Amino acid sequence: MIRLSGRLRSAVIIGLQGIRARKTRTLLSMVSLFLGVLSVTVVQAASQMAQRAALADIELIEGIDGTLRMYIDGTPEAADATIRSLEGRSDAVALTSVQAIIGEPNVRPVNEGGVPFDQEWWGGGWGWGGHVRIECDPTGYCYEVIDEDYLQTPVGAAIELKVVAMSGDIRQFRPFRPVAGEWLDFTTDPSYSPGLVLNREAAKGLERYRVPAEMRIMGGSKNPTPRILGVVEDGQSWPTAYVRLDELLNWVSFEASANGYYGGLGLEVFLAPHATETLQVLRANLAAAGIGEDRLFVDVIDSRKEVEQSLLVLRIVFFGMAGLVLLIGVAGILNVTLATVGERIEEFALRRAVGTPRTLLAGIVLAETMITGLFTAAAAIGFAALVFQVAAPLLAQLHYSLAVGPFPWEAALAGVIAGLFAGLLGGLIPAVRAARIPIASVMRA
Amino acid sequence: MTTPLVQLIGVTKTLRGQEQPRPILTGVDLTLHSGESVAILGRSGSGKSTLLSLIGLFDRADSGQYLLDGQDITRISDSKAAALRSAQFGFVFQRFFLLKHLTAAQNVAMALVNGQGWLSRRQRREKVLAALDQVGIAHLAKHRPARLSGGEQQRVAIARALVREPRIILADEPTGALDTETGNLVVDTLRAATERGCALVLVTHDPDHAARMGRVLRLRDGVLHPEAVTAPSRPPEPVGALPDRVGEATHVPRHARPAENEGVRA
Repeated sequence: MIRLSGRLRSAVIIGLQGIRARKTRTLLSMVSLFLGVLSVTVVQAASQMAQRAALADIELIEGIDGTLRMYIDGTPEAADATIRSLEGRSDAVALTSVQAIIGEPNVRPVNEGGVPFDQEWWGGGWGWGGHVRIECDPTGYCYEVIDEDYLQTPVGAAIELKVVAMSGDIRQFRPFRPVAGEWLDFTTDPSYSPGLVLNREAAKGLERYRVPAEMRIMGGSKNPTPRILGVVEDGQSWPTAYVRLDELLNWVSFEASANGYYGGLGLEVFLAPHATETLQVLRANLAAAGIGEDRLFVDVIDSRKEVEQSLLVLRIVFFGMAGLVLLIGVAGILNVTLATVGERIEEFALRRAVGTPRTLLAGIVLAETMITGLFTAAAAIGFAALVFQVAAPLLAQLHYSLAVGPFPWEAALAGVIAGLFAGLLGGLIPAVRAARIPIASVMRA
Repeated sequence: MTTPLVQLIGVTKTLRGQEQPRPILTGVDLTLHSGESVAILGRSGSGKSTLLSLIGLFDRADSGQYLLDGQDITRISDSKAAALRSAQFGFVFQRFFLLKHLTAAQNVAMALVNGQGWLSRRQRREKVLAALDQVGIAHLAKHRPARLSGGEQQRVAIARALVREPRIILADEPTGALDTETGNLVVDTLRAATERGCALVLVTHDPDHAARMGRVLRLRDGVLHPEAVTAPSRPPEPVGALPDRVGEATHVPRHARPAENEGVRA
């Protein structure tokens, strides 16, 4: 334990005696300071909660900070090398996605292009529908070609969505929140009836439109009958379904896709920060398959930095406002302490007479104001935490991103620092005044 | 020959901040040895308290020399002066200067909790009780000033002056606010300290109290003059008999309630 110096201990002891002797004044100081410290605490708490919410959202979409993300082009060789490399490994997951339509065949989906159901999208979009293809001219310029007959096709009982196929459980990198039902089971044999886990938007579509259980997959050989396993919150606003890669590959192949529309299925691989061995194996297998380093794109997810940058301006503005409120509180404590020092001239002169150095006299005043600041901080933090305790469940009910977890300790720390700082600032001038009290004239009076 | 404890040589002081600066001490010479008691008499405004504040390092002389234990401390720094006040001096004032929100023990302990070294709570308590015992009011340790008589309050102030076992006690009209009998008690208490080797400088208007000191000086025209000692109207109390008498005066035998001070906070 760090031994406090004699002077510091003396200052604290005498400061506490002073506070005990002047409870009403201490209370007045606390009242003037309370709002300032509370505003700093609340701003810090709100900023932490906003960051948490933004991070939680961005983690669902982008992935957890530190995760390695690798993009691999969709050639059959690359896909084969990737899937072989990751087989039996839990520290990396490969993803690919295709567009699919669930519902009646030979109709246009109600949300062409897989757009959100309640969203106006270019006045109606074009889905792949099996009627859009890419054609390239001899110079290599590629463009979409719409089948004119397709435009005559009526809109029917079908919805379009993105199907994301995974080689393993993606939730270790993108922590989807369960909403209903179950998540995919990767331990069983793959089924010919692909199990789908929907996001909220896809679930909304299936709830709103009664469609037959037939799934047309872009580039697929046949239309399988999907099974809906559950619903998750994935942070996406577009309808999406998650499926096991091996179940999808029963119906669509990388070879077929590579020769089909859009140039084939691209792969995205998520690797844990510690998956160095897996990464080495993957790179080696890809190199053996003819995929050089120049065709691999690797980055490390750093969502926190992005979020912090986007929140910085807001944080500065709100802290500025809280600082102003705190300064008003400082003026209050300064006023009360100046009056108190004025009344305690004899006490300070006497203390100097018995050998108390000027620095300790200043320290006594600062100790009193800083202890008062600490008490105020405790009250403000307690109040904020109480309100948080009551409001947090209600906020969480409003939206998942408002489920912000426990009261942030950073807010408590900010409150303590604000209290101490305000005490220091408010006590500075009175402390100097106390230290300058002359002994001779006071003791003679 | 032993080195004097305090030696002032040609000390001058002019009071400023008024319309015209007023020379109040024009050349004070004073020598004080350990165990010696000196009374300083003089009219109001003659500079007695100013002289005391110079000796007690509250203020600085304009010229002259101040030797403490042979060391020249005329131009001592503020922090060293504070340290010397704590270690060497005890002060008693006419107006007691007790803090009303503190108990008698805490008021005495004030001289120990002053940033000049650190004593544990137990050590502080022992010293405080010893000092209060020395002035015969250990049983009042937990009382606040409002519950004490004038004499008791002044004895708390004397205990505060004695608690650090000073070498010099400076008393500025300590009996000024007390009746004659209580004043005599206070002077006897102060004089008892000199029996333990402490020097005493007593500023007073009362010739009787002055007569009980070893030496009497009169401050006139800014200079100290020796004064002939006249016999006091009341003979000094034998020092050994003092505490019992003090105890009787407060109707509480000194050692009658030892348990009462068990929880004394100092």
